Amino acid sequence: MAEQEGALTGIKVLDLTDERGIYGVKLLADLGADVVRPESLGGDPLRARGPHFENSSLWHAYFASNRRFVAMDPETENGQLWLDRMIDATDIVVTCVGAFCVEQANVSAALDRRPSLVVIDLSSFGDSGPWKDYLAPDLVAGALGGAAATTGDVDTPPLKSFGELNFMVSGAYVAIAALSAVLHVKNGGEGQRVGISVHECIASCLEHVLMWYFYEDKLAGASSPQLPRRGSLHWSNAYKVMNAASGSIMVTPAPDFEAQIFWLVEQDAQQDLIDPKYFEPENAPLMIERVMEVLHGWVATKDAETLFHEAQERHAPYGWVLPVDKLASNPQLEARDWWADYPLAEGVIQGPGAPYRFSDTPWEIRATRSSAPAPLEGADPASVLADIGWLAEGDSA
Amino acid sequence: MTAAPRPLDGIRILDFTHVLAGPFATRTLADMGADVVKVNSVERAVATNDPTHPYYLMWNRSKRALSLNMSNPEARPIARALAEKADVVIDNFSVGVLDRWGIGYDAVSAENEGVVYVQMSGMGEGGPWSKFVTYAPTIHALAGLTQLTGVPGREDIGVGFSYNDHQAGLHGAVAILAALTSRARTGRGQRVDLSQFETGVNFLGPSLLDWFGNARAAAPVGNDLPYDQLAPHGTYLCLPGSGGASAIEDERWVAIACMTNDHWQRLRGLMGTPDWSGAATLETNAGRHAQRTMLDARLSDWTGSQSATTVMERCQAAGVPAGVVQTGIDLMENDPQLAAAPFCQPIESINPAIGQTFADRLPLHFSKTPCDQYSRVREVGEDNAAVLADWLGMSAAEVAAGEADGRLS
Repeated sequence: MAEQEGALTGIKVLDLTDERGIYGVKLLADLGADVVRPESLGGDPLRARGPHFENSSLWHAYFASNRRFVAMDPETENGQLWLDRMIDATDIVVTCVGAFCVEQANVSAALDRRPSLVVIDLSSFGDSGPWKDYLAPDLVAGALGGAAATTGDVDTPPLKSFGELNFMVSGAYVAIAALSAVLHVKNGGEGQRVGISVHECIASCLEHVLMWYFYEDKLAGASSPQLPRRGSLHWSNAYKVMNAASGSIMVTPAPDFEAQIFWLVEQDAQQDLIDPKYFEPENAPLMIERVMEVLHGWVATKDAETLFHEAQERHAPYGWVLPVDKLASNPQLEARDWWADYPLAEGVIQGPGAPYRFSDTPWEIRATRSSAPAPLEGADPASVLADIGWLAEGDSA
Repeated sequence: MTAAPRPLDGIRILDFTHVLAGPFATRTLADMGADVVKVNSVERAVATNDPTHPYYLMWNRSKRALSLNMSNPEARPIARALAEKADVVIDNFSVGVLDRWGIGYDAVSAENEGVVYVQMSGMGEGGPWSKFVTYAPTIHALAGLTQLTGVPGREDIGVGFSYNDHQAGLHGAVAILAALTSRARTGRGQRVDLSQFETGVNFLGPSLLDWFGNARAAAPVGNDLPYDQLAPHGTYLCLPGSGGASAIEDERWVAIACMTNDHWQRLRGLMGTPDWSGAATLETNAGRHAQRTMLDARLSDWTGSQSATTVMERCQAAGVPAGVVQTGIDLMENDPQLAAAPFCQPIESINPAIGQTFADRLPLHFSKTPCDQYSRVREVGEDNAAVLADWLGMSAAEVAAGEADGRLS
């Protein structure tokens, strides 16, 4: 049966990324782009990243979904030839400085030959400046980018966010850059290079951090241009994770504080919150502080799951703190038929579905583009390129 | 506004979004040249919908401002006419609001076959939670990000900022651009249903596969990596700074990440190759990981007598990944990379209500269509006349009449 068309069917991408950019190419691939990912004859080192299922990296299965893999040595004449041909055949080349084949990829010459080509150059810190060559795995990238300083509590060190959240930000920007540049070409413009610094990407996605610096004088309660880490307490002081009698729950009286107080009154748990002073506009910060104090004691008597549903019935945006195993049986995800099947060498495993749903061009993890086989298996460049129609006329397979 | 071409010149976006996720999606597209018309109203312009609120200032630059009082049924035909001219219609209301206003996807696409229609709701359309109210902290909790970002034994820390709002915005932008690319091929637009919850759950991809494949539930690991045994890998206290508003603001930390045995050997050399570090049990990643508590204490002793910047510079010069844990002040005042970009810039056009406002640059450096000029946030309805003339050909008198009778307010 023919594959359904994805939104990006017909767009060819050459994936020369490492962990800093691989998520961006995944976004393109899962929307239907034809993506080739070269790897060394010894295999992509990202295939060693945990967790594993038997001999397969689940990290790689997720981040390198929907790729065609070619094993090659770009230091050889034949390898260089195939690399040049792939660049000539593609619409988009995505590179991470220092990743496999990037040094050998003659993209500047290709841009001269083919002005419609789009090249995305992702690096940790850009192509100039005193930190240009700094090494920055996710922990260091998050520290320098400003994410770690605001994550953690007063009694913990600054913390790294779980998994690959920092590099998923730079990855999302990679996809935006690639698609914007391609649209510009489709609308009659020229191809071009787009430089992206992971460092700038992370710094651009810190919610209140830059706001606090720019507009401290306009924020009630701000006494410094920065807000130190303070656990889950939101910058507005009105969102916090609290421990319930069983489980934990993100609790907030926002946006309808009166409704929250009324709920407490219903349960005779309001303490002094009906004091008129709390309803004076100038006392709003005091009211928020006192509501949160009262909520702490009230929540401690509740079951988190029950409280979550009661709150949502009242249109209060509480959030039950869920672990991974609870997500796996989540009724909302189940009702929306969200989960997808990921092909591995050892079989198919259920995993995350689409981050968005298109009405006409489905997001899809395609079994025909397994990430699982060993890179040398069926990975002769000529056969792969012929198979996906990447060979230019006159090229021989 | 610059006259230089930008990649999304000519794309018209009708923007009904509010708070952060949706406005960040459209800000990103506006920075790249799309004509984003932000719909607001005098009635709704309170709290984070108020154009003078710092939150609004952060996420709504480079857009044009239209006031439409959608609670007035007489205003809705104007919204419908605009939607029929738009390349993109986007909202992040609860599912169904735009339908009630007569500008749902079915109504709009019947007259505008090419429209890309994006709904960025909390839970998506359908399912038992579809009406649930969410902000980013809600999504973080429900999607597993709160439970997993923290230290063992606690689930009340989580990511310290609204990560998922930014990411939902970026994914909204990806979806719009992909749908426009598809339209260039097929001539047809389509509807995109973006559940911010599903976007958030997606970020735990490998851990979800691990659960389904191996029945292993991921757990918080502090600054360790969840699946790869590496050490040292953490943040370490250095000599304090001064001048902060509180003791914690004077704390200075550095992150050090030994990803390989070579990194460890180089770090040992920097520390003067102390005797303890030569133990055979520390020669492998697994061996160091097993003794990471001891290693972290030793490393803290070493970093504690130096400034964070000194540790970073010494480590990086020796080929060891390390970086200062930078605060907002550091990013804006002490970061030579961001200063050189420049990453932060005052917006040239002065905001009449606020005065000087600022932009953190779009972190995409296009070689031929630069996107480094940003315009100030506009007041409610400030661009009524220009937008309605450009999109609908309305005369100044028609716009004035709409403003007078309250439709355009």
